[in-house]
Amino acid sequence: MNLTARFRSWLKWIVKGRRLESEMETEVRFHIESRAADLVRKGLSQQEAMRQSRIEFGGIESYKDAMRASVGVRWWGELGSDLHHGWRLLCKNPAFTAVAVLTLALGVGANTAIFSIVNAVLLRPLPFPEPDRLVRITFNEPGLGLREVPFSVPEFEDLRTRAGVFKDVSTIAVASVNLTGTGHPERLEFIVTHPNYFSMLGATPQIGRLFGSQDFALGFAPVSVISDGLWRRSYGADPNVIGRTVRLDNDPYTIVGVLPPGFRHPGPTASGNVEVFQTAGFSGDPAPPPARGTRIMPAAIGRLKPGFTVEQAQARLTAMAIQIRHDYATDYPAQAQWTIEIQPLQEALVGNVRPMLLVLLGAVILIVFIVSLNIANLLLARASGRQQEMAVRFALGASGGRMIRQMLTESMLLSVIGGAAGVLATVGTLGLILRFVPSNIPRLNEVRIDWAVLAFAFTISVLTGLAFGLAPALQSAKTALSSAIREGARGSGYSTKTGRLRDALIVSELAFAVVLMVGAGLLLRTLRDLLEENPGFNPTQVVAANLWLPEPNDPKADPYLSAAQQTSFDRELLRRMRAIPGIELAAVTSDLPTRDLRLSDAQAIDALAIEDRPVESSPDLRAERIRISSDYFKVMQAPLLRGRFFTEGDEDGKQPVVIVDETTVRKYWPTRDPLGQRVRFGADPTKPWMTVVGIVKDIKSDGLDIDGIPHIYVPIYQSPDRDLSVVLRTSLPAKLLEPQIRHEIQSIDPDLPAFNVSSMNDVVDRSLASRRFSADLVGGFAGLALLLASIGIYGLLAYMVGQRSREIGLRMALGARRWDVLKLILGKGAVLAGVGIVAGVIVSAATTSMMASLLYGVHPHDLLVFLAVPLLLFGVAVLASYFPARRATKVEPMSAIREA
Amino acid sequence: MGKAIDLLQGTLDMLILKAVSLGPLHGYGVLLRIQQISGEQLEIQQGSLYPALYRLEHQGWIASEWGESDNKRKAKFYSLTAAGRRQLRAETEKWNRMTSLIASILRTTSEQI
Repeated sequence: MNLTARFRSWLKWIVKGRRLESEMETEVRFHIESRAADLVRKGLSQQEAMRQSRIEFGGIESYKDAMRASVGVRWWGELGSDLHHGWRLLCKNPAFTAVAVLTLALGVGANTAIFSIVNAVLLRPLPFPEPDRLVRITFNEPGLGLREVPFSVPEFEDLRTRAGVFKDVSTIAVASVNLTGTGHPERLEFIVTHPNYFSMLGATPQIGRLFGSQDFALGFAPVSVISDGLWRRSYGADPNVIGRTVRLDNDPYTIVGVLPPGFRHPGPTASGNVEVFQTAGFSGDPAPPPARGTRIMPAAIGRLKPGFTVEQAQARLTAMAIQIRHDYATDYPAQAQWTIEIQPLQEALVGNVRPMLLVLLGAVILIVFIVSLNIANLLLARASGRQQEMAVRFALGASGGRMIRQMLTESMLLSVIGGAAGVLATVGTLGLILRFVPSNIPRLNEVRIDWAVLAFAFTISVLTGLAFGLAPALQSAKTALSSAIREGARGSGYSTKTGRLRDALIVSELAFAVVLMVGAGLLLRTLRDLLEENPGFNPTQVVAANLWLPEPNDPKADPYLSAAQQTSFDRELLRRMRAIPGIELAAVTSDLPTRDLRLSDAQAIDALAIEDRPVESSPDLRAERIRISSDYFKVMQAPLLRGRFFTEGDEDGKQPVVIVDETTVRKYWPTRDPLGQRVRFGADPTKPWMTVVGIVKDIKSDGLDIDGIPHIYVPIYQSPDRDLSVVLRTSLPAKLLEPQIRHEIQSIDPDLPAFNVSSMNDVVDRSLASRRFSADLVGGFAGLALLLASIGIYGLLAYMVGQRSREIGLRMALGARRWDVLKLILGKGAVLAGVGIVAGVIVSAATTSMMASLLYGVHPHDLLVFLAVPLLLFGVAVLASYFPARRATKVEPMSAIREA
Repeated sequence: MGKAIDLLQGTLDMLILKAVSLGPLHGYGVLLRIQQISGEQLEIQQGSLYPALYRLEHQGWIASEWGESDNKRKAKFYSLTAAGRRQLRAETEKWNRMTSLIASILRTTSEQI
């Protein structure tokens, strides 16, 4: 048959369907009228002739249908009948259909959900014009092992004017601030930028205006841009908000613009979306006068000039950094190796969640493989049962290709139904799913089911359909040729060829299950280890709350200007907290353990000086300074190793004292007694030395999975801080205490927000949120994989027993004992499981190192996991084999042979 | 008109190819030509011509073109393509072999077995 002509006419039909329809009509009418005209010539009346002509023509509509079918839509016709046939088959086997559709829906649904996140977070470009030109700029001191060290105004000017690679550069200082004057005081995220920040990102206001060069100020410009969220929440979406005053840490700013709902600051934030945008020059009050060594700006982003790749720009910046180090040698100690690095902004934003998301994506793709293999196996069993049908069809003239197509149509029907169910389920539950996704993943607000996600889901569905449909289809076409009719009505037994294919499928299914289970095992073990890890304190029956003493730029607006004012606030706060009924002990700290507010190490870890220690080593001396009140260690139930805790008497004017932890001791006094040693923070030699009076065990202050940072505790009365966390030892729940805590705080100062009131257990738990999320998810998939693998091996053996019952009966009649039969079937299951497991272990061993960054304290080749998973899977596989094996022993030799 | 013979299964395509091989025809013309050549002996369901015509065109054996009929009306004319000519030759040969075979079978008497 001429394929091209066929294709051409089919195409014509598709493209010009309507025209062909009218042509068909014209042609038929021409025929009928011509015939009628001839009949009139033979003497009939016009009316009679038309009637006669129509009768002779026959059923016009049915002929038109036949004409349409002729033009090619014959292929579609076959597809239709295949679909119909497939649908009937699916309806005839509701159990099989339900299992297949459900597992497929689960597989495709999971893929859709995870991919929608991967797509939004990792794949879609940032929602700014020319996003690939945006970079994050960091200053590092690799010589000291410090990343993201702050930079000074002259250094910022170097970026802007000297580097020559940036079109725009903006400082990025993210922090949180107290918002007052909008009903109740609130804590929110704010950012201080250069005035060109918005134009660099190509942002446009929803109402009002954004920053422009007129807003440049040495200190803080008196204007503010607010987010859509804050505008709706605190100002009721009032269009007249422009010109109103917003009070941030008591300083007044005029609102000049509101951002559109979609705008998000593209960078890490302390706790949530940035809601207030400020601009400042960092060169005037409250900032100190600019100097090269006065490094007060925390981070920057920039837009590259057209024509510069990231690599080219990096090369220029590296050269410039070397030049600057040379030009200002006194400001850049040689051993620090100060340097400038840039990184595509998108990478900087999502880089740290990439491994986790990719592991999750890998897990869902594995699960869809397993689902697909499982269905392939079920279909193959069914196809063997349908050999006769296929043979008959073949004998009646169906071609091999035609039959493969029919089988494939059936599996595609199945996969499309399953896939659609999965996608629909995901679309319906995406909001719910996202609630379980840890909020530290950036860009979650951009997650949606778009065309890319649908295309991915469709591809996954079609690929699985092809994958699980092809094997049975090819098999059936082949066996159809080989005379299944002759082999008779009672099934052809477990033919070696089909058998081998099915064995291969089950072995790969088990291997994939092993990979998934090993991955899950490693993640779960990491999580369990972290949960069981002694954090150095007892988080049970501790309630924590955060507050922040405002730090206005205008000293006159600052009620906490002096250390004495802050200390008296702390004392009053603690007095009131202790007075709340049910509170046993109360303390404050500047750093609540495991509450990750840290934006970079370099900014949180202070330079340290130790008495009698040579100055040259000073850049290496660092420790994290944590301010605490006297009862802090008692509230946290952290044990004292030696010396003493702080007392209420360790206050300003008394001898300055510190308590150090074990890491500090190990690091700085490995051979000497630390008690009585003297230290001080910063390089200022006029500051008094502080004496070590106590040693405590390490507290996992920076997160359960972070070790090795030395901590030095100082009495908060000697070194006050505005960033405060209250910790209370109590048996009462946080929810119950929250209103009282807030009431007491606001009785001291009605403008202070109390936020993040929660139990310490929840705080610790939240710090593990993304680990828990990935471990639970992969663990769930691993459980599913185990279940599917056991169903697969059970199904295979049950089918085999059914097919070979005659042979088994015969063996038993010839003297085989039931034990031999049991051994035969169990042995088969054990061999399959063994091969699959060994293959899976090999693949796992080769791939788990890719997830090393997600593990903590667990080696990627953890022996326990690599032993437990194979044993578990093997046990389940043998158990799943046992049931069909036992059924085999129940075969009645006589009846089995008689049936033959 | 003598007693009409019903068309043998599968022969309509061949007849259409033959009819249009003698010159382009519209659908009704094909009918008339077949009836004319057969001496009005064949009974063809008139409507069944069209699915066959479409099928043959779809298979590339005939081509169609809109033109004007004798009575100045718009009509679709079918003509044989090169592929169609080959097909007709093949079909004719097959048919001849078949008929002579069948005929010889039918002629067989008991003595010849």
